[in-house]
Amino acid sequence: MVATLDRLKRRDFLRAGLVFGAGAAGLAAGYAAVPDVFARAVYAGTKSGVTNDRILVMVQLGGGNDGLQTVIPLADAAYRDLRPRLGSAADEALPIGSDLGLNKNLPGLRGLFDQGKVAIVQGVGYPKPSLSHFDSIRVWETADPERRQQDGWLGKTIAASYDSAGHPLVGCACGTTSVPGAMRDLEATLTVIDDERSFKWNGGERMDRAIGALYTGTPGIYGALFDRSIATARDTIAQLATSAAGYVPKAKYSDDARLVYSSKNQLAAALQLAARLIVTGTGVKILHVALSGFDTHYTQQPRHDALLAYLDSALVAFHADLAGYGMSDRVVVATWSEFGRRPRENASAGTDHGTASDVFLIGDGVKGGLYGARPSLAKLDPSGNSGYEVDFRSVYQEILQSHLGIDPREVLPATFDRLPVFA
Amino acid sequence: MKAPEQPTKRVDRRTVLRAAVAAAVGVGASRVVAAAAQPGGPAASSAPAAPAGLDWVSPLDQESARVAHLLRRATFGATAAELEQARSDGYARTVERLIETPVAQPAALDGAEGASQTSPLRPQALISWWLDWMLATPTPFAERMTLFWHGHFTSDFRKVTPQSPYLYWQNRTWRTFALADLGTQIHQVTIDPAMLRYLDLGSSTGREPNENYARELMELFTMGPQAYTEDDVKAAAKALAGWREPLTQPMVDALLVRAETRQQTLRRAPTADTVKTGVYERARAYRGPAFAFLGETRVWDTEAILAKILAQDAAAPHIARKVLTAFATPAPSGDYVARAADAYRKSGYDTKTLMREVFLSPEFAAPSSYRALVKTPIEYMVGIAKALGDRRLVRLMVGAGQGMGQTLYDPPNVGGWPENGSWISSSAMLARANFATAAASAAKQPPSSAKAHQTLLDATLSAPTLAALNAAQGETARWAVLFASPEFQLK
Repeated sequence: MVATLDRLKRRDFLRAGLVFGAGAAGLAAGYAAVPDVFARAVYAGTKSGVTNDRILVMVQLGGGNDGLQTVIPLADAAYRDLRPRLGSAADEALPIGSDLGLNKNLPGLRGLFDQGKVAIVQGVGYPKPSLSHFDSIRVWETADPERRQQDGWLGKTIAASYDSAGHPLVGCACGTTSVPGAMRDLEATLTVIDDERSFKWNGGERMDRAIGALYTGTPGIYGALFDRSIATARDTIAQLATSAAGYVPKAKYSDDARLVYSSKNQLAAALQLAARLIVTGTGVKILHVALSGFDTHYTQQPRHDALLAYLDSALVAFHADLAGYGMSDRVVVATWSEFGRRPRENASAGTDHGTASDVFLIGDGVKGGLYGARPSLAKLDPSGNSGYEVDFRSVYQEILQSHLGIDPREVLPATFDRLPVFA
Repeated sequence: MKAPEQPTKRVDRRTVLRAAVAAAVGVGASRVVAAAAQPGGPAASSAPAAPAGLDWVSPLDQESARVAHLLRRATFGATAAELEQARSDGYARTVERLIETPVAQPAALDGAEGASQTSPLRPQALISWWLDWMLATPTPFAERMTLFWHGHFTSDFRKVTPQSPYLYWQNRTWRTFALADLGTQIHQVTIDPAMLRYLDLGSSTGREPNENYARELMELFTMGPQAYTEDDVKAAAKALAGWREPLTQPMVDALLVRAETRQQTLRRAPTADTVKTGVYERARAYRGPAFAFLGETRVWDTEAILAKILAQDAAAPHIARKVLTAFATPAPSGDYVARAADAYRKSGYDTKTLMREVFLSPEFAAPSSYRALVKTPIEYMVGIAKALGDRRLVRLMVGAGQGMGQTLYDPPNVGGWPENGSWISSSAMLARANFATAAASAAKQPPSSAKAHQTLLDATLSAPTLAALNAAQGETARWAVLFASPEFQLK
């Protein structure tokens, strides 16, 4: 409560300060005006828009997830030819439909698929694909294959459609220390929580006040970013403190210690934090979590299988937890990855960078089933990669429009083919 | 602390602090906020907050401030003695001394050479060994460059694993060649055992090339993403194949022990190599007709590929831009990049020439460059330990970087760490403030903070920072405020 008052006062002051900030009073006090575009990182009060209770959780599979080992084309002879070693995964796959199988380590997702709660969109990609991790991540993050946009599509969504000024927890990245590119937007207020157990000030309330005072009207190109990060940290701490008691997980989240070590993300812990933020009514709407380690250039099979097993258990626990709280109908989980992998395996029993791959959408509000189509393995481009069947922005558009209830034109530059993945 | 002593101490120190600030006002009034001119007032509550959207007023028109600015960026921050020495030498001589002093290597890390499957090298040991050397080294510029190259030619302990001395070797190699030319560097990088593992060149063959290293060599290490085609990636992958990781005697012994306990028969008894680099095996290399790479058709090998890359126009600007973003200004202009790149290329990609060009450029000392960069978490922590003069703070630093987003030998991905604004988030700022408090509390006998706002912050303070420093009671609290301040996050 105190924190809220402090924040409002500070913001009001800052807004007032901006009006006369670059004037004579400011200069006389010993400051010069910020010269460039950074000055636009102001505390813009975003318009209030969305009032529904829908929530989105984006799960990044960092490094480029191999779609061909995730959703396996059981009947395609080319698959076995291209992958003499990795192709044996077809033998143990969990069949869905007549000629496809999920990786053997995705039994939980298969269960949800059978209940009609998982939509698998196949062949998702974009024109003239980049095989660079960083270029392709940026394409997916900014929803722009031309790579001209700077702001992330989730950040834009928050800035355009949510009153985030009063609710920094509208957008939250869990299990990381930095703002994910998809959420980056100078006009979006969002928080980052690496680990909620350590998310507090050493020195308690006294420190909270002191730091809040220290970061007030900070000059310089990073001034607004600093002040907003500190204000958001204080709000987040206050929010976590009030919501601490109300949550007991209704499913078992388990972290595979060996795997966490090799992939450096604790997806299960991040999703459990996400669940806590959702069920305790913090007002969170858009969340981002990540699991890395999918850049499987060498001895892929054991590594990729282990990653999928971990993904499966974390996603299934998250869904069961939310279902236990009666909230799984308003939350959609969507996976994304910068690219799939090369259909032909390499000498190291791994795969190099590829193009189109699969997107999973999970939730009670999802109309389960298979969408899109599998790109042909018979017609590969000169780099040995397949084409794509569904533009990834079709998926974004559907999430925005049919799930979050937002006009996609606020975020996307054009209209894309509809994809009826929501009931 | 004993309660009765405190009030007297506090008043004394506060008086000293105010006097110091007042003196700074006399020197250059424009640099210090208006509140500093009212030393008598109750500090914290009366200080007006600065309006947002304004910039720091640069003190860089004065050489003494430029020297401090240089040391914040080219080293891990200076002790009072180092700063005094550099100021007496002057800016130009300090640049020459930093650049021309031969690199000092740390003492060997116990147990590192013997690392193997049965005796792994703990990442924490490797991290604290390096952090300690960042604090102790007599050549802090070379050390700062070693950290820069560690983020550029990056590798991580998760994939390389602690079961070899590879990452330890890599750290020493990067330091040895921290100020060398790019040609020497990328040769060393290509055949570095940790890199052979990290980007899979060590398991690539000419028959079935693995593209991982070839792609990142061009995209990240040298030319940038737009300067080559996918065919060039395939060609380079073919030409570079043939290297394998070396084995040490302890690694061989561990392999034999494991084979024995598992009762396996090894196809060929492993033997130790005598080199600390990759071993080239012709049988694993590509043996076929000539092919095209970057527009030229011939028979290619590793050296020819590296030479061809350095003959491209894209390499110098790519490295120059990255260096400028880390050392000079967050968004260098095209002209600035072109000038630095030109000097770099003409010198045969000499790192010393490039860095001299950066430090002596007008842009480096321009008002817009003042506090225009965000310290990396490692710089931030090492700077704090240096200011407090306590090497034992390394123990605190080993685990604390993670919450701020930077653990040595553990970059987020093959692109290394992002710079500047990317370090700022609610979570990371919280971790920084908590480290500031913890370090100030943990330091044994911290030095007086009376002049710290001058030596560390150029006496250029925001009103809130000045107020908080004045209000802080005792050395520990004052150091904590100073380290947690926005001024100290910047360089």
